[in-house]
Amino acid sequence: MSEIKDKVRAFVVENFMFGKDEGLEDDTSFLENGIIDSTGILELVNFLDEEFSISVEDEELIPENLDSIKNVTSYLQKKL
Amino acid sequence: MSQIQANLTICNRCILPDTFPGIKFDDHGICNHCRREEKAAKKAFDKKAIYQERLDNLINDIKGKASLYDAVLAFSGGKDSSYTLKLLKTRYDLRILALTFDNHFVSSAAWDNISTIADVLETDLIRFRPPWQITKKLFSLTSREDIFSKPTLLRASTICTSCIGLVKSLVLKTALEMSIPLVTFGWSPGQAPIQSAILKTNPAMIRQNQLALKKAFPSEISQAMNQYFIPDFYYEKYKDCFPQNIHPLAFFDYNEESIKKDLNDIGWKAPEDTDTNSSNCLLNAFANYCHIERHGFHPYVWEIANMVRQNIIDRDEGIQKIYTEQNRKMVEYARERLGL
Repeated sequence: MSEIKDKVRAFVVENFMFGKDEGLEDDTSFLENGIIDSTGILELVNFLDEEFSISVEDEELIPENLDSIKNVTSYLQKKL
Repeated sequence: MSQIQANLTICNRCILPDTFPGIKFDDHGICNHCRREEKAAKKAFDKKAIYQERLDNLINDIKGKASLYDAVLAFSGGKDSSYTLKLLKTRYDLRILALTFDNHFVSSAAWDNISTIADVLETDLIRFRPPWQITKKLFSLTSREDIFSKPTLLRASTICTSCIGLVKSLVLKTALEMSIPLVTFGWSPGQAPIQSAILKTNPAMIRQNQLALKKAFPSEISQAMNQYFIPDFYYEKYKDCFPQNIHPLAFFDYNEESIKKDLNDIGWKAPEDTDTNSSNCLLNAFANYCHIERHGFHPYVWEIANMVRQNIIDRDEGIQKIYTEQNRKMVEYARERLGL
């Protein structure tokens, strides 16, 4: 669980926060806070696909699954 | 003087520069983005075949079932959207509605291409033109300020993001209102990940994105453009008929020269009045200039680096596209029209 969370956090910080982990809490909304934009969400999906070998279905592309570190981690736990 | 620093360090594999936010290079001078993509690159060929099959199946399912059109296409008249139209007509014979967003900076050569290609491919065309006053305010603002979230700056200039944000919104709105099951874009293989190349649009996600877009604009501009966004009640009214989003160039063969040749054969001519990264827009050089001035890297470098990484264009060509100074005459043309 912790390892998954760390990987997701590292990806988000490196790719969307220019390497600076400023104020990113586990429940910070990516979209509301402008951390990730619409294309970025798809890059996150790409990352989950490659890193965790899961396939994100169309109907799973919802904020409840992808819009924060906490949501992504819980989603991954269910998928893995 | 060149806008691009002479002492720039560039990734030895792609073309991302050391001014690109958050970039890191290893001992071999390879950037972290190239390293991250290595695993995906090995599977890219198979993935493209899977996506082609998925599109074939999707089109089998939807073709001819909607009352008016099978697809609405964001059609700029540039080479990528023109080629996408050709591909969808010739391979699938879809009923397509092409929608051209007239941002007041479409080159006259691009207008000729728009008419020619729409006629040759027997496609209905809508030209959507907001009044100049709104457009001028929008582009004047976005030429000076980065109003959108930081990650958008990695992929496009703020001027382009504002323009394409409206285009995305308008084509989706059109699809919902006319019950069109497919929304199509001509994104190049470097512009968006393949996972998004066939995707059912999700109302909750779209709503979040629209909110973020509207929130970014000052209220005066946001109110003036309100009718271009998805109205709130649409999310409930059309909740079961949000369309599929596709951008086929992500998984079909993409070679600029053969695309141009194919298009030339049906009457498309490469405009001579646009910059090296656009085949339709007279604002693009100025948008690039503003971005480079503020951020020290070219707004197309992410897209072109992705294409270099995927062996779609060679590295030297990528360097040529990105590390050549913007055409000063075109920069001044747009600046003058915007009264800046």
